[in-house]
Amino acid sequence: MRPLLRAELLKLRTTRTFVALVGATLALSLLVVVLTGLLANDWSENNTRSLFAADFTGLFIMLLGIIGMAGEWRHRTITGTFLAAPDRVRLMAAKGLSYALAGIVLSLIVTVTIMIVGTVILASRGIDTLSLATLIDVLWRNLLVAALVGALGVGIGGLIRNQIVAIIGVLVVGFVVDPALFALAPDVAIYSPSGGAPGGIIDVDPFDGSDVDLLSPPLAVLVMLGWIALFFAAAGVRLRSRDLV
Amino acid sequence: MAPVEVRDLSKRFGSVLAVNNLSFDIEAGRVTGFLGPNGAGKSTTLRALLGLVRPTTGTATFGGLRYEELERPSTKVGAVLEDASFHPGRTARNHLRVLAETGEHPSERVDAVLADVGLTEAANRRVAGYSMGMKQRLGIAAALLGDPEVLILDEPTNGLDPPGIAWMRGLVREQAARGRAVLISSHLLAEVAQSVDDVVVIAKGELRARGTLEAVLGGDEGLSTIVRAQDNVRLTRALQAAGLPVQTLGDGLLVPGVSPEQVGVVAGDAGVYLVHLTPQARSLEQAFFALTGDAA
Repeated sequence: MRPLLRAELLKLRTTRTFVALVGATLALSLLVVVLTGLLANDWSENNTRSLFAADFTGLFIMLLGIIGMAGEWRHRTITGTFLAAPDRVRLMAAKGLSYALAGIVLSLIVTVTIMIVGTVILASRGIDTLSLATLIDVLWRNLLVAALVGALGVGIGGLIRNQIVAIIGVLVVGFVVDPALFALAPDVAIYSPSGGAPGGIIDVDPFDGSDVDLLSPPLAVLVMLGWIALFFAAAGVRLRSRDLV
Repeated sequence: MAPVEVRDLSKRFGSVLAVNNLSFDIEAGRVTGFLGPNGAGKSTTLRALLGLVRPTTGTATFGGLRYEELERPSTKVGAVLEDASFHPGRTARNHLRVLAETGEHPSERVDAVLADVGLTEAANRRVAGYSMGMKQRLGIAAALLGDPEVLILDEPTNGLDPPGIAWMRGLVREQAARGRAVLISSHLLAEVAQSVDDVVVIAKGELRARGTLEAVLGGDEGLSTIVRAQDNVRLTRALQAAGLPVQTLGDGLLVPGVSPEQVGVVAGDAGVYLVHLTPQARSLEQAFFALTGDAA
């Protein structure tokens, strides 16, 4: 498994897509933190916590995971990949693990950066910031979510091989279906892999003001693992049974 | 046990029987041409061999093991398939580094194979800017990375210019000389005839012939005779009376599928003086077309 993992991490690092998405993650996260830090006036501890949880790694690492798996079909590199690593399920597991690791590293960089920048902005405005213990609490939750959605992205890309369809589908679910679900059926929405469950791990309402009881972090982690297992199982069955002609 | 064994291999896609009960071996130290017209089932067979397509029945193995069962497969089998693709945004060196990591090959092998295929100077360029011939060379570099015992090349001359084709011929001969088993598939006999020792000919998914190139495509069965007599009309009658086919060819006659000795005997028995008698070997292409059922 280790050689496969190293190879997948090398694949990830050697394309411009990765560099572009890392840049976009950092830029977007910083933009939100800088604007909110400079313009917002209501600074309860919950709102400050939300500010430091504004790590967009989750979104982008999921997109990277989709691209990493579905892109193998798009660029028709899947044949070479399967020749190098004929155990298709093992290959997918390595991909899932590598994108989880990449999510952790990316989230670490982004979260630490926005914590430093946010703290400097709040301090310059004379606003109380979070304690070190709370900052560390926010950090590990961000890292955990990034790892889980990175792996989930690979599962989605393994099941939905059309990269564009998979990406548009995820964006529609995240930005249209999830908010609608939170408004209409919050008891269902809290189990969503792109909104409710990650929100439960971070302990921040993903759609500010919806006043929903999120899942407890341990349960939210289990729900996310369930979604990952579901997508990987479905993708694994499809991968194993498919002829590459 | 032969390095490559295909036994009773069949593959059906829905109602289409792409490969039908195919069996052949590939020997070490020899270059085997896997020949057949487009759509004959060559690529399906190779993909079944490489674990990319699941056979409907039969087996395709390397030293008795299916491709998926090989430990570190890139050290046993190197393959370049017709649709080999690379991530356009990745450089050739990085593409090979990824494969070296997967196959647990030392990183020095990357530079070694880049040099072997003449891509050292272009190694840090993105593959998107590569010509088709350069991509073909990169595919071969990837196949050679693990210094494999078996090399499988699907239509390897596609996209190569004449010097590239000559280079490819040299490469496969060199690999065979080092004891490797080399399998080259092609629908163009002329492109591989100079490189191969053995041939496996298939058409419509079925085996048509296998053996050495000479035995399969250049045997006595393919011999014809060109003959001219003082009296071609009498000779024609004599040949026809002996049940032999005969055609007019310029100021002489062509007797297809018949040796000069047989023609000479018929002429002698009929008392016809010959002024010209020469064998005409069937060309490789003619023999190939005869086997595969394609029109020349």
